Amino acid sequence: MKVWVDRTLCENHGQCAIAAPSTFEMDDEGILQYTEGFPADELEYIEDAMDVCPVQAIFLKGDQ
Amino acid sequence: MTITTAHDVPYLDMSAPHFAMASEAVRDARDANWYARTNYGLAVLSYEDVSSLMKSPKLIQGSAAWPEHNGVHSGIFYDWWKRNLLVLEGEDHHRIRRLANPAFSPRKIAALGDRFESLANELIDGWIEDGQVEFVEGFAAPFATRVLCIMLGIDESEWGTINRLASTVGAALGVTIKEDIDEVDAALVELQEYAERLISDRQQNPKDDFVTRLVEANREGDRLTDPELRNLLVLLIFGGMDTTRNQLGLAIQSFIRQPHQWELLAERPRELAKAAVEEALRVNPTTRWVTREVAETFEHKGLVLEQGTTVHMFTYASGTDPEKFANPERIDLEAEHAPHYAFGGGVHHCLGHFVARSDMQAALPALATRLANLSVVPGGDEWMPDSGNTGPVRLTIAFDRRATTADGQQTA
Ligand code: HEM
Ligand code: HEM
Ligand code: SF4
Repeated sequence: MKVWVDRTLCENHGQCAIAAPSTFEMDDEGILQYTEGFPADELEYIEDAMDVCPVQAIFLKGDQ
Repeated sequence: MTITTAHDVPYLDMSAPHFAMASEAVRDARDANWYARTNYGLAVLSYEDVSSLMKSPKLIQGSAAWPEHNGVHSGIFYDWWKRNLLVLEGEDHHRIRRLANPAFSPRKIAALGDRFESLANELIDGWIEDGQVEFVEGFAAPFATRVLCIMLGIDESEWGTINRLASTVGAALGVTIKEDIDEVDAALVELQEYAERLISDRQQNPKDDFVTRLVEANREGDRLTDPELRNLLVLLIFGGMDTTRNQLGLAIQSFIRQPHQWELLAERPRELAKAAVEEALRVNPTTRWVTREVAETFEHKGLVLEQGTTVHMFTYASGTDPEKFANPERIDLEAEHAPHYAFGGGVHHCLGHFVARSDMQAALPALATRLANLSVVPGGDEWMPDSGNTGPVRLTIAFDRRATTADGQQTA
């Protein structure tokens, strides 16, 4: 499974970077940067990030 | 590119007795420039600039020094204020949000939707025969408070007590706080005791509910301490009650101005509930501005923002910016719109927005499907100043009751 953020929805609120800092990070300009792949034990926090995103822009893609 | 000199920058006197956000002065200032100077720092007016600065890492929330600015330097309110999520920054803030966020998961909140809807209908039943109601007392205040009771698992019959205590604190949260501080501290103690009882009850008797989820929140062994839980529950009561009450009143005000849109909502309540709430928040937000403070000096569009400067993000001005929205001041339930900033943005983005959205998405359709031809009863309304956090003090409305047809559809 991979993380995918819909950039047309993302508002750069950075709530995902609070929930799952190993996967999501806000750069110096306040723009979201993220890695698509993640270790299995990170999934729980990625799900927290998906839940908390105010505009619900985070999705999981791939073999489910 | 326009070069804006200090000379061209509009000035808004926000403490003038007749200052209003929904005014020609604010609209003219927005047309002239992306920001204005004010007696409370800078005001950001345009959609584009509110959107980027609201979330900028160079700005912090900026309300931490509020008690000191109003002469309060110690005491119960002071201590609570300094530790609440709204004013915490950096990892202190993020840690609490990380632990609290899962309890506010939209999936968990959605499960409460049916209860919010029956609450709305129960309140409407109380006065629908009368053809007229004082909307704040008859709907908005009990609805907003009882939603919090439902969420926190407090017996709904307690709503009057919670409402009284929170209003005592809320009413003093203006320039009079110093004079009223003893009363504020006493009410806050009562609210904190309330919160403590809830916490220890759920620690001993866990349930499948919101407070239990907060109490049991755990990340790699880190948990919210008892004082952190208590402070958070008190913040939810303050942050959730007046905002929701005021926003419901403002939504009704907006729909009274646009009866055609109210009829659309009545015809397609499920489909348009979400748009109705978002549009009310965009054109008539209770949170007229969101405060920020410059954490480190930086430049934006040629303007140097010095560290320590207070910056107000004007939500109403940005949500009705003609550069961003067609027919900007009007609700249009069938159009696609860019997001508004009534819930703020960035790391401090409203924690309770899924709750507020889902309760208002239950309330507005329930009202629209049962009440038609709304109007304000002459002399029946009284309003808080149109700045800061606004809303009706009283809003007496007259209406026609819709007839219910056999298939449950309601017609005017
Ligand atoms: C229509 C209703 C509401 C509106 C318009 C509203 C608006 C806001 C705004 C503008 C902020 C500040 C955001 C910022 O500085 O960027 C905020 C923060 C907050 N709100 Fe709401 N709110 C509403 C309802 C609620 C409810 C129902 C709750 C609780 C159940 C709640 C809890 C909070 C909390 C805890 C914060 C502080 C978050 C932080 O600093 O991390 N709000 N809200
Ligand atoms: C959580 C959601 C909250 C939102 C959206 C919010 C929003 C705002 C806004 C927009 C203002 C400017 C109003 C003005 O200056 O007239 C304001 C002022 C203020 N708020 Fe809040 N607030 C929230 C929670 C709280 C809480 C929990 C408290 C404390 C119990 C609080 C205390 C104050 C105080 C003391 C002021 C200054 C009032 C003044 O300058 O006259 N706020 N708030
Ligand atoms: S929380 Fe959502 S909107 Fe915010 S940065 Fe992450 S993906 Fe974007």
